[in-house]
Amino acid sequence: MVPNEDDIYVCRCEEVTVGDIKRAIAAGARSVRDIKVRTNAGMGVCQGMTCRKNIERMLREAKIDFDACCTHQRFPVRLLNVGDLTAITREEDEACR
Amino acid sequence: MSLTADVIIIGGGVIGSSINYYLSKRGQRVIQLERNYFNSGASGSCDTMIAPNTKEPNEHLQLALYSVELYKTLSQELGRDIEYEKKGSLLLIENEDELHIMEGIVKKQNALGLNSRIIDVDETMYLQPGLNRDAIVGASYSEVDADVNPFRLNLAFADKAVSLGAKVFTHEAAQEILLRNGAVAGVKTNRDTYYAPIVINAAGSWAPIVGKMVGLNIPIKPRRGQTVITEAVPPFVHKLVNNARYIVGKHHPEMLKNNHSLKAQMGIAISLVQSKKGNIEFGNSREFVGYDTGNTYLCLRELLKNATRIIPGLKNLNIIRTMGGLRPYPPDSKPLIGFVNGVPGFFLAAGHEGDGICLSPVTGKLVSDLIVDGKTDVPAAPGFDPNRFDLF
Repeated sequence: MVPNEDDIYVCRCEEVTVGDIKRAIAAGARSVRDIKVRTNAGMGVCQGMTCRKNIERMLREAKIDFDACCTHQRFPVRLLNVGDLTAITREEDEACR
Repeated sequence: MSLTADVIIIGGGVIGSSINYYLSKRGQRVIQLERNYFNSGASGSCDTMIAPNTKEPNEHLQLALYSVELYKTLSQELGRDIEYEKKGSLLLIENEDELHIMEGIVKKQNALGLNSRIIDVDETMYLQPGLNRDAIVGASYSEVDADVNPFRLNLAFADKAVSLGAKVFTHEAAQEILLRNGAVAGVKTNRDTYYAPIVINAAGSWAPIVGKMVGLNIPIKPRRGQTVITEAVPPFVHKLVNNARYIVGKHHPEMLKNNHSLKAQMGIAISLVQSKKGNIEFGNSREFVGYDTGNTYLCLRELLKNATRIIPGLKNLNIIRTMGGLRPYPPDSKPLIGFVNGVPGFFLAAGHEGDGICLSPVTGKLVSDLIVDGKTDVPAAPGFDPNRFDLF
């Protein structure tokens, strides 16, 4: 059986498929974030670690001139426990700046 | 290609999109412009609450209650599931002083038609298990409060408007507002020029920048809110959970002036809600830091400390994302909605601060009434007239 490309998952966390991304692009999405708010791709537990590159590739294939710098990741880069974050002291925070 | 319309809306947030929908529904030809993408501003970095319980008991609450009515049929009207769900909201009361203030507020809310009531610790614990019994003395509870998916809401409004004939252009920034004999004639963007006798400034925190194009000084300021989002977990936060201090921080910041704690300085209150998918959102702060949407450790930590003191079980969750958004803060806590005297055709619909999601349907309705009929049945509408400020 030949798999239908549109049914392939791009974002596994949020179960967003190639077809979903294509439809978002057809509806006018022009950046990874734009696709995110339309499909929820990248909003799951890995925060786009798996899908971001693939979505960027799909945008490039659609000849969309997107600004890759705009898809920077927000804090935290990896899962962070609520209890651990509450334990950060002011001094530690300042040391990080 | 230059297009002509009846109305041009600047802004692709829920306010602009709602106005687009309600105007298109009334047969107006609408063009909506968004300089970035839909939900790129506050509508994409907010919580999901429709909570009249957190509104100050004045015209604001009347507007919110009207919106609650419109929300009930909105999924059906827009032909899309906007994940509207009536959950009820709790305002947690932490001491006797707050209880006293909240009793007064509840009384006023009821007089305006919101069926809220003060409940004791046992009932609060029953409605929201997992609360730290020792941290609260009770809560005020309102049953009609609900939540909605803001992404879906915004796109549903815009898409429905498009199906009714509206034109929507994203990634197009308004650069100049064209005037003819002092009256609005159109908008020039980075790509094209559009013509219409009415231009609506629904640019939220960026409304002052659009206002400058016609020489206005719009007294709206960006007020940052930082939010933490956890991984999806099974149902845990059943209600919209805020604390009574939220009302104080929101409507009466002067009461916190002599409080120099970090928490007070950053305007931190508890605002907790669990999305349909299961992610829990911890909000939020109220900070004046210009157009900076960044996050700060100090603020995030204070947010989480505050929330985990009230619901200790939250400590075990994992954070997947944080965000910062800019609420369009008006000096008197009321949005500015109406034609601006002195610039014929220039309409302002901005300054909803943290209430844009809640107030979007009623704002769309109110604006379409004022533009199509010149009058409205939305109560207290004159209270939102932008001309209450000196705009020139």
